Amino acid sequence: MVKSAPVVKSVLRKIASILLLLLAVLVLNFVLIYAAPGDPVEALVGEMGGATPELIAELRATYGLDRPLWQQIGVYLGNVVQGNLGHSLYYDQPVTTLIASRIGPTLLLITTALFSAIIVGTILGVFSAQRRNSTLSHFVTVLSLAGFSAPVFWIGIMLILILSVSFPIFPISGMSSSDGTTSTLGYAMDVAHHLVLPALTLGLIYLAFYSRLARTSMIEVLEADYIRTARAKGLSRRSVVYKHALRNAILPIVTFAGLQFGQVISGAVLVETVFAWPGLGTLAFDSILRRDTPTLLGILFFSSLMVVVMNLLTDLLYRRIDPRIKTS
Amino acid sequence: MFTIFSATHKRLLPLIVAAFAASATLPAGTAFAEPKQGGSLTSFSTGYRTLNPGVQSGAATGAPGSQIFAGLVTVEKDYEIAPYLAKSWSVSDDQLTVTFDLVEDARFHDGVAITGEDVKFSLETVKANHPFGRSMFGSVESIDVPEPHKVVLNLSQPVPGLMLSLQPLLMPIMPKHIYDDGQDMKKHPRNMEDVVGSGPFKVEENIPAERLTLVRNEDFFIADRPYLDRIAYPIVKDPLTRVLMLEKGEIAYAPFSGIRPNDAKRLENVDGVNMTTDGYDAIGYIHYLELNLRDKPFSDRNVREALAHAIDTDFLSKVIFGGRTVPGTGPLHTGNPFYSADTPHYDADLDKAASMLDEAGYPKGENGERFSFTLDIPSWAPQAHVPMAEYIQAQMAKLDIKVELRRAPDFGTWVKRISSWDYEATMNGSFNYPDPVIGMHRHFDCDNIKNVIWSNTQGYCDPEMDKMLDAAAIETDFEARKKIYADIQAKAQQDLAMIYMPQDFSATVYQDGIGNLPDSPFGGLAPLTNVYLED
Repeated sequence: MVKSAPVVKSVLRKIASILLLLLAVLVLNFVLIYAAPGDPVEALVGEMGGATPELIAELRATYGLDRPLWQQIGVYLGNVVQGNLGHSLYYDQPVTTLIASRIGPTLLLITTALFSAIIVGTILGVFSAQRRNSTLSHFVTVLSLAGFSAPVFWIGIMLILILSVSFPIFPISGMSSSDGTTSTLGYAMDVAHHLVLPALTLGLIYLAFYSRLARTSMIEVLEADYIRTARAKGLSRRSVVYKHALRNAILPIVTFAGLQFGQVISGAVLVETVFAWPGLGTLAFDSILRRDTPTLLGILFFSSLMVVVMNLLTDLLYRRIDPRIKTS
Repeated sequence: MFTIFSATHKRLLPLIVAAFAASATLPAGTAFAEPKQGGSLTSFSTGYRTLNPGVQSGAATGAPGSQIFAGLVTVEKDYEIAPYLAKSWSVSDDQLTVTFDLVEDARFHDGVAITGEDVKFSLETVKANHPFGRSMFGSVESIDVPEPHKVVLNLSQPVPGLMLSLQPLLMPIMPKHIYDDGQDMKKHPRNMEDVVGSGPFKVEENIPAERLTLVRNEDFFIADRPYLDRIAYPIVKDPLTRVLMLEKGEIAYAPFSGIRPNDAKRLENVDGVNMTTDGYDAIGYIHYLELNLRDKPFSDRNVREALAHAIDTDFLSKVIFGGRTVPGTGPLHTGNPFYSADTPHYDADLDKAASMLDEAGYPKGENGERFSFTLDIPSWAPQAHVPMAEYIQAQMAKLDIKVELRRAPDFGTWVKRISSWDYEATMNGSFNYPDPVIGMHRHFDCDNIKNVIWSNTQGYCDPEMDKMLDAAAIETDFEARKKIYADIQAKAQQDLAMIYMPQDFSATVYQDGIGNLPDSPFGGLAPLTNVYLED
């Protein structure tokens, strides 16, 4: 009980700094997009196939684009505080509705890719750390180098070429088939079938990262004094590796997983575009191309919110895993 | 176009259409077979913001829109106008009154009968909301509906391209009982949700991020049509992914496929996959080098001619585009009904170009350059514009003109530069549309020098040209009109208002086993009423 006061205080301080951070993000995003040449109405009108100056002026007034910058920011911030992220110029829908309709597919893709990558990557890393000069260890090194350096859209296209065109196992794109399957199970299977390639593409990038991270972290920990002590106590190898070493080696992985999960959208943009996955990534891509400023701002805000929230959660998770943080 | 079409009864039309289809040239590889009912056709879409072609131009809305909505007429092979919702029509001698008789038992997808009031409402809506509304229907002064199935258009002056504009792509018949509720038509929610049309297919599923699925309209006013049970349009934005889907057959029919000449070669080698460049005549997608005529050096016609002598469009189309496209000879596409090849041609001749520049007062300076300029490259057709711009840059270097290429990161950036006239030169392209009044006049009219993209942004103005354009706009005799347009094309090329590049490589990719693909000059933007799948 005595201890809770500082915790509450630190949480409150954290929340205050988060709110300030989000405010800064909002203003900065707004100004950056405002500063870019061209405005959404011109893009919109161009896409309609040209229009009269009257229509352009009318649309500008409708969307408040004829007002000075500070007024536009003021209106925008006021709306965001009330939970209103604005109205998409292109889709003509509330931005919150748009984001809500696209977040599901993105979360499905990201969680599948990220969790498979973390699990497989950690296992690979742990194994290769124990036998540093084994074939597996070299394989992990090469894999992570390749995964790091190859552009994600290239990996995607290559996987399509191999696993959809040469050996037609998986569909090339989309999230479900258009043949109108009605049963829930059938639909789930269909989505899972479509999910494999995009998740694999994204997963390979993460896998490269986590296997490398797990390997380095594990090697470091295995050389620590307390591991020598544990070995000297006569504990089994299994117990040393999994109980003592892994628990410590996993800390950086959790940190990065938290950070990366926050960056879901940036990772998803290219993969979603290549595989026509109907998520936030394609929405972000489209809104950039179409100068759909409210949607773009909404996605940017949403993704910064994700980063902040995931950081907070990682922090809390950390406290559970690592008792040292609780006491310090 | 001005004869009175005989009445075509609901039961008669299929026979006529079938006879028509049999006589038409079918795409290579299509066997003559008895059309049959059923089957699902997969096309694709790059994404659309509305399904109502009455308020939005372009292929993304037009391709499915022409299936969902019917029009008064259809445009068949060789621009022949055929009855659709209008079973017949007549034009008064002074060309100022056009009377339509409508099919009597046609219904919207929600079961409500289609009447002249819907036609009137649709035309007024298009006139007020479509980007081409004014150029298509600006001269329609009033519309009368003397009987439920009779519509009379009263014109202030003859409109030679009127019938072409009455197809579903440009003037879809929209349900008045749904749209006439005072809401802004451009933003009407029913353009995307629960869309009620009048065409051969109904919307079954519209998930803008994923796919659009259309199903057969069982109650279509043409008996036993359409043949297909459904058309699916999965959203595929990435061009490479699209090529692979075409190759594998995941997309069976892709008008406006957006493939590059290199992809065409690859796809042609795939068994069961065919490619055609037919079906793009009416859209008439042309490319050009647009020079800002307000400032030196491009305000000088001789400089422009020097550039024209340096840019070998023959070489571009043969070598860079693999011979899959032809050089542009003027402002009209070779497939346009008013196209004329009889225009000034500037032979590839670098020496001549150099001496013309010397004479124009642009000799090689001390820095080894005559002058330099920035060439903008828009974001929307990189497959065409990037190779063109790079070629121009290389050719200009031979003339000691330094060209800096500036690729626009997105559409808005480029639009801003060009529409505010804040550029020196840009690669550009536009659609002719079959009637030059819609697609061509906008680039040449003195009145249309506006801060609007695809207007007369380069700032070309010539009183003689204006006079010819005005005359062509109201000339109803086809041959006389064609003659005026021939002069206009020659004049445009003489003045070098723009330097024309090879025409666009537009291609439709389709699988074996699809019968009766539309042979309209509008290709995939025409209704797919008669398309069927072979066994």
